[in-house]
Formats: sequence, C-alpha cells, structure tokens
Amino acid sequence: MGLRDIGKNLLTDKKEIDTERLCSRFEQYDFVRLGDMKCRKRVKVAGEIKRMRIKPRSGIPAVEIVITDGTGEITVIFSGRRNIPGIDHGGCIMIDGVPHQDGDRTVVLNPAYTLLA
Amino acid sequence: MALSASALKRFFIGKPIASSEDQHHRLSKKIALPVFASDAISSTAYATEEILIVFLSLAAVGLSAFDNLVPISILVIALLIIVVSSYRQTIYAYPKGGGSYIVARENLGKHPSLVAGASMLVDYILTVAVSVSAGVAAIISAFSNLAPYRVMLCIGFIVIVTLANLRGIKESGALFAPPTYLYILSLASLIIVGLYKVYFKDLGPIDHSGEVAKELLSGQKSLTIFFFLKAFSSGAVALTGIEAVADGVPAFEKPEAKNASKTLMWMAVVLGTSFLGLSILAEKLQPLKDHEGNIKVTVLAQMAEQVYGGRNIFFFITQFATFGILILAANTAYADFPRLSSIIAQDNFLPRQLANRGDRLVFSNGILFLGAAASGLVFAFGGLVNALIPLYAVGVFTGFTLSQFGMLVRHRKLKEPGWQIRAFFSGVGSLTTLFVAGIVVVVKFADGAWIPAVIIPSMMVIFLTINRHYVRVRSFLQIEEGYIAPRQIHLVVVLVGSVNRGVLQAVKYAESLRPDRLLALSVVGSPEARAKLDADWAKHNLTVELEMVTDQFRDITDSIMTRINELDDEASDDIITVIIPEFVTSLRSQWLHNQSALSIKARLLYRPNTVVTSVPIVIK
Repeated sequence: MGLRDIGKNLLTDKKEIDTERLCSRFEQYDFVRLGDMKCRKRVKVAGEIKRMRIKPRSGIPAVEIVITDGTGEITVIFSGRRNIPGIDHGGCIMIDGVPHQDGDRTVVLNPAYTLLA
Repeated sequence: MALSASALKRFFIGKPIASSEDQHHRLSKKIALPVFASDAISSTAYATEEILIVFLSLAAVGLSAFDNLVPISILVIALLIIVVSSYRQTIYAYPKGGGSYIVARENLGKHPSLVAGASMLVDYILTVAVSVSAGVAAIISAFSNLAPYRVMLCIGFIVIVTLANLRGIKESGALFAPPTYLYILSLASLIIVGLYKVYFKDLGPIDHSGEVAKELLSGQKSLTIFFFLKAFSSGAVALTGIEAVADGVPAFEKPEAKNASKTLMWMAVVLGTSFLGLSILAEKLQPLKDHEGNIKVTVLAQMAEQVYGGRNIFFFITQFATFGILILAANTAYADFPRLSSIIAQDNFLPRQLANRGDRLVFSNGILFLGAAASGLVFAFGGLVNALIPLYAVGVFTGFTLSQFGMLVRHRKLKEPGWQIRAFFSGVGSLTTLFVAGIVVVVKFADGAWIPAVIIPSMMVIFLTINRHYVRVRSFLQIEEGYIAPRQIHLVVVLVGSVNRGVLQAVKYAESLRPDRLLALSVVGSPEARAKLDADWAKHNLTVELEMVTDQFRDITDSIMTRINELDDEASDDIITVIIPEFVTSLRSQWLHNQSALSIKARLLYRPNTVVTSVPIVIK
C-alpha cells in the first residue's frame, strides 16, 4: 500500500467505507442497480437491509424496510405483517416489483422477494 | 452529596441574603475617611522603601541616596496636589460616582473608556497583590522566622479576604475605622517621636551589620537621571487609591459632593504629611533595603525599632497597624474590582456573569476572579513588594490621565461659569499624569512595566471581541416589524435502547406533545436484539412507529446523528424534538450507567432546529 493509499484510508469517512463495501458485495449479481432504477417499471433489484420500521397501527400493521446496494436505496413495504422470518438487519434480499415515488423516497409495495446468501 | 456541597458553601459564605435587604447606608466624613482612604494612605507603608531600593540597590549610589529622598518626596507630593485638585472637580461633576471608566465613557467615548477600564482592573488586581505582600512583609519584619513562608502567608491572606468578601463584608466603618486610625496614629507617633529624638536627643542613624548592608552602603556611583526618574516613579505609587473617593461619592452623607471633597482633602493631607515625614525620618535614620529581599525587615520596621529603642510594644503596634491597613487596602480592591467589572459587563464588554450578584448580594464572580489573579501574581513574583511595584503604577496613571482628560473635554463642552480655570487644572493634571505614566513605562519597562503595557491592550481586544459577540446576538434576536414566529412541522423522535419502564414513560410523554409525526428510534446491535425489541414493543401494545437501524461500526451516537440528519432532510420547515429517557441515580453511581445519553446530548446541543428533552427516570 502506497503512502497515497494510506492517506486516502485516513481521510475516507465511515459512509464511504460502507458504500465501497456494499458496491463490492453486489457486483457479483446481475440486477439493476438501485441508482439506475426507473419508477413505474417492473424491476428486479437487490440490496442489504439497512433499517427496519414497524408500524404497529391497530388493524393493519406494516413493516417497512430500507435496502441499499451502495448506489441508492429503496423502501420496501410489506403490509399486514409485523415481521418476516429471514428479513433482518444486514441480510440481503432481491425484490421483484414496481417501484413508485412517494415524496422523497422510492417505495415498492408488497413485492415478491428472495433471500440472498 | 448535593446537600453537603451546599452546606459547605453555607459554612464558608453564610446564609443567602434577599435582594430586598440590600441597603446603602450613608457614611459620615469620619467613617468615610478610613473606608476610602485606607488604600491611598497604606501606600506610605512601602513608598519610601521603594524609593530607597532604587537608590541603594539598583543605582548603587550609597549614602547619597538619603539626600535625594526628600526631594523625590516633594515631587510626589506636588503630583498628589495636582491629581487631588483635579479629582475634586470630578467629585462635583459626578455625584453619582465617577470612576475613570465612567468619566472616560461619558466624555471620551468607547475606546478611551475601555483603556481606563482595563487599566483600573489591572490595578485593582495589583492593589491586592502589593498590599497583601506589603502586609505580610510587615508581619515578617516583626517575626523573622516566618520569612520562608512568605508566599504561603500572602496567598493565605488573599484567600481569607476573598472569603470574607464573598460573605459580603460591607464597607462598614466599624471594621475599617480602627485599623486605619490606628495606623495614622502610629505613623504620627513614629514621625513625631522619631524627629524629636533625632533633633533633641541626638538619635543617630541605624547601625547596620551584614554583607548586604555593607555592600549597599559602599555604593559609589553617581545618580543618573534614569535612576532618579525610576525612584520617582516608585514613589509615585503613593498615589494609588486616591481615585476611590471619587468612585464612592454616593456613599457619603448629604451633601455628598461637599463631604466627599472634604474627605479627599483630608486624605491628601494625611497622605502627604505622613509620606514627607517618613522620608525626612528615613533621611536621618538611614534604613536599608535591597531589591532581592535579602534584608527581610521593612524600612518602616527598621525605623520603628530605632525610634522606640528596640522591639517593644510600640514597635509591635506599628507593625500590626501596618499589616491591618494593608489588608484593608487589599479589601477595598475587592469592593472596587467587582463593581467596575460589573459596570463594564453591563455595558457588554465583559461576560455577563460578572454582573451577577451571588447569595450575599456581592458580585461573586468578580471577587473570585480577583482573588485568583492576585494569588497568581503573588506566586509569580514570590510575594516581594518591590518586584510587583513596576507593574503597579502604569494602570493607575493611565486611569488618572483619561479621567482628567475626560474632565477637560467636559469643561469645554459644558462651559459652566469659570470653566477655563477648571479646564486648566484638568489639563495640567492629565498632562502630568500622562508624563508620569510614560516615565513608568519607559524606565521600568524591563522590570515588569511591560506586563501591564501588554495586558491592557490585550484586555481591550478581549473587551471589543466580547462586545462584538453580544451586539451580534442582540441584533439577531431583535424582533423586526411584522415578524411572526413560523409554524414548523414537529417531528418527535424517542430514543429507545430496550423496552423498560422509563421508555414507556418517555413514549407517553412524547404522545402528550401531540407532534405532527412521532417515531421511536433504536440502534440495535444484533438480529436477536432486534427480534427481542420488536417482540417487547408488540407485547406492551405500543402504537408508535418503531424504527430500528443497525450500524456496521457499532457507534450508537453516530448512527443516531446520521438518522436524525436524514429525517431532518425530509422536510424543510421542521423542528425535531429528540426525547432521551435517562436514568438518574445518585452522584455515586451515575457513572456506572452508559454515558451515551450524555454524548448524544452534547452532539445535539449545537444542531439547529433541534430540541433535546430528557425524560428522567429517577431510581430511588
């Protein structure tokens, strides 16, 4: 490692380190990258689960997860459930659905999903 | 723990006094003289000695030192007359109290007044350091085996005076009158008895033995103008403290100005005659003192011993009276420094805290600062009076100059009947004192006069920087015409670690705020922890949205900050309240709890549009 790399290492913040990690993790798959995704068109995208939100509203609960592959992020909403086995922080899923814009965020409702290793 | 801390404070400081109990009692002339004049008159205890040190030890002129003592004293007294006659006018012009700072502020504007203010503050600090050092020197002269503890004694007395002032000893006559009058009497007795013995009983010079004394007496150099001026500027410290009467005019009985002016005259008479008397006596008795402190006994003590024929009761009375008035002189600075700093603070040139009155209706912060600064000086200069003297006079004479120049400007502006003659006095006064200040800086620059010459301008820079800040804050907070506070979207974020009683309380509290949006945020470490939190959340029927984030780098504070930034970005006109449930146990065990709440609060403190609320969970 050259001096320059060491200098670079010291200067990059955690966010960049994480982005690099994610990008290299998803290089192996042949999905649409989240950054290139188009709304209102059916896509297959994948990402790592970054955060989860449970809406325990009386009647219809919902779980919202945010996934990212380093190029962008998407909010996936599974309505009617509080939790889904196998979906947890740090896990990877591939989803198959139609994204749409909801305010500032891109959302996909109740997609088909596959847990990735 | 908290109880014992306040008990300790109560023990040292005394019980709090209500604001309504504040009262100003008026002082009669007989009482006002000791109250205001102790500072000025006390300088006779060391002024003669300082002149001698310059002649004997620095200029090494030997016996001819004593021939020059009286001429210098007469010059100093001439200076005294000029300054006093100028201050008489200040008293009549400012019956509400006219310190240098106020006179300069009213007549000369911002910058000169700040110079005056800084000079006087520096000078009050030095008054404490010099007076206490000289007081301790008087004690050491009487009990020479205390000499090794000089610095400790000085700092000890400063601590005592500081504590006494925090308790709020008023400038009460009962306290001030006895030591001051005792000192005046003992000086009068020393001078009269001494001169009587010299002229009628052929009392000769003191016999000196020892290496240092021989060396001092054997000096053969001729006196240069430089050392003459240096000796004069040392003698001029006798004038320190005469501004006190002009500062304190409102404390006099009616008619205030007239009584104050008479008191000022009496003070000048006492100061002038005793200073001249001591110089004449010193000329005859030839006491010795060097500048390194090898001779431990003060000039005053040497003369008292010779005049009274040994260390008898009269000698000890003289020493204790000297000590007493010097401590009182230090004490007057404790009244003046906090008062001036509070005035400057009210004008927004010093931190507002200095304008706060403490439990006992005194300006506690100013008192503490003064005590600390004076102790530092004493420590740095080893408690030696003559090492501190070069620092002393610069501030006083700068203050005199600006005050009198301010009076000159005022006379020219108001043009009251007979203003020309008064303006003339003020003009001569300000020129003379400016000249003296110049002399002090030039001839004593290397000895320490450079310190105030550097400190006073830097204090001005500090004053102006503080003022700029306060002005900026004030203009920012000012309400413009038609300003209405905006309605902001209220997002409340409750930080959750695990579900416990405190968190339930915090969530209830958050709901009671009725925000536009409510969110619970938790940073979870592992999938198991997440599953447990999720299950607990469901179990307690919490209906608040629970957001769980994970951080790859295990930094809770950082994750929370990142998430709050993201939430803030979602809306443009929002205000975020972050609610932190926080354990409060006793001081003993608080540190056992995770300090993350503290670090989050510290990070959020400087975040705009963010309110941080702690919901305390008191563990009994």
